[in-house]
Amino acid sequence: MNPADARPERIENDAYSAAPGIDDPQAVLSVLEADQIVAAKQRMHFGRRKLSRGVSILLWGMRVYVVIMMVLLVISAIRGIHSAP
Amino acid sequence: MNRRLSKLLQAARPTTEAAADSPLASDLAGLLTHEDADRARDRWKVTRARGAGRRSKALSMSWVLWLLVGPGVLVFLGENDAPSMLSYSATGARFGIGFFLPFVVITFAMGLVVQEMTVRLGAVTHRGHAELIFDRFGKFWGFFSLGDLVLGNFLTLVTEFIGIRAGLGFFGIRPGVAVGASLLVVFAAITTGRYWTWERITLGLAAFNALFVPAALFAHPNWHEVTHALLTWTPLPRGNSMDILILLLADIGATVTPWMIFFQQSAVVDKGMQPRDIRAGRVDTLLGALLATIFGIAAILATAPLFHHGIDASQFQAAQFAEALEPWIGRAGAALFALGIFEAGIVAAIAISTSSAYAFGEVLGTGHSLNRPLRDAWPFYSILLGSAAAAAALVLIPRAPLEFIVLIVNVVAVLAMPPALAFLMLLVNDRDVMGDNVNGLWANVAAITVTVLLIVAGVGFGVATVFPHWLKL
Repeated sequence: MNPADARPERIENDAYSAAPGIDDPQAVLSVLEADQIVAAKQRMHFGRRKLSRGVSILLWGMRVYVVIMMVLLVISAIRGIHSAP
Repeated sequence: MNRRLSKLLQAARPTTEAAADSPLASDLAGLLTHEDADRARDRWKVTRARGAGRRSKALSMSWVLWLLVGPGVLVFLGENDAPSMLSYSATGARFGIGFFLPFVVITFAMGLVVQEMTVRLGAVTHRGHAELIFDRFGKFWGFFSLGDLVLGNFLTLVTEFIGIRAGLGFFGIRPGVAVGASLLVVFAAITTGRYWTWERITLGLAAFNALFVPAALFAHPNWHEVTHALLTWTPLPRGNSMDILILLLADIGATVTPWMIFFQQSAVVDKGMQPRDIRAGRVDTLLGALLATIFGIAAILATAPLFHHGIDASQFQAAQFAEALEPWIGRAGAALFALGIFEAGIVAAIAISTSSAYAFGEVLGTGHSLNRPLRDAWPFYSILLGSAAAAAALVLIPRAPLEFIVLIVNVVAVLAMPPALAFLMLLVNDRDVMGDNVNGLWANVAAITVTVLLIVAGVGFGVATVFPHWLKL
């Protein structure tokens, strides 16, 4: 079982029976995860991952694929327009 | 800036800890915003609904589902947009009931595989897709990815307004009025300053995608023929191979596109979904895929009479389908079809412009939530409205290359999809980001299969473009 599924949220124990508001920070904090608070997200980032050679090749391959395909698409669309009656 | 907090917060990591139980609780309490409070209110409703399970499990589950349904249904009904419904219409009109019916089902299954991953990414990381790509892969790859999204989104937005103009044009409404009124609807939806309200308004509009079902019933489809096609994939399409290939790509592009990935992940984050909501998120996504499949197939069935009566639909544009259908499905059926095209355009215009705004907001680091009021997050809302307004304006310019855009828009989506899927799969398999919610073996097999199929479709298109005579053999 995912640990998140097992964690009882405070509100289920009727800790807060009224909807949380900005004037009641504890109620807001009880239903959100720390990582969901805007101030925390602005200061906390997932760092850069080190790209292995395989991942770099994959990303470059995909980029080249898109550029070539876009050129072919434009050619095909122009042909299509010119051949339309 | 709160120095203690900055010191404590080093790097993000997957967590399920309630903010109140965090060592940062006292610091965070002083930094809460209205966005946090609004999101907490939505979460509070969900946890209350879960708590009701002690009294009635069925009632609790239905209530939780009602509260958590949204991003999945919206993304799939949003993707049943004007160019997609026109692709299905062209499919029905040119090839009738046959191979394309089960093909559309398969494309939605592909879409389901992709979108399920975005639910997990959003619920676990609480970050949008663009933000995660920039964080994990850096600006270089981030801007490439954003570039693909912006190009595809803008072209698609243009086609949404073409659909809006054409759909309302059937009822004699002038293009300027149709496009202007639709922009007002997009604006009205965002003035609420609440994600929840925006989502429910947009879901309400998206429900009208079902108009294609009565339009199909007016066509009196042969259900034996429909069942036979779904089970046997026959009859196979015949005719110009390049036309068939373009329609195949357009139908794939009608179900799997980069904007869907960016939109659903950001919407999941804005809704405040957490790892424990992933199961409900999957149900939401499945429901969206099912509804979109039914409505997409309905569009094919509605236009199949044109195929049966030998009407040449090869050069049809949006409103022409409705006009051509009138002798076969009646004025009411044709009107429903035209309204459906209008609805498809407006819902997608809302969803796609929101997807662009989310992505830009995440990258620029400015407020990017529908829970923020207009004055508080004006760059976010400016991009949302600005992209919609620019696309709307282009549609009204005389001699703008609209035909060119309509031709390429769904194909662009298919061609831009493999890189988007590569980033998605790298992120969803990244244990530093996903913790225990990384992809399992079968999820990876399904996602790789979808990616390979998209690349094969794209390469097939490329080969056919370079060597067109091969298709005539």
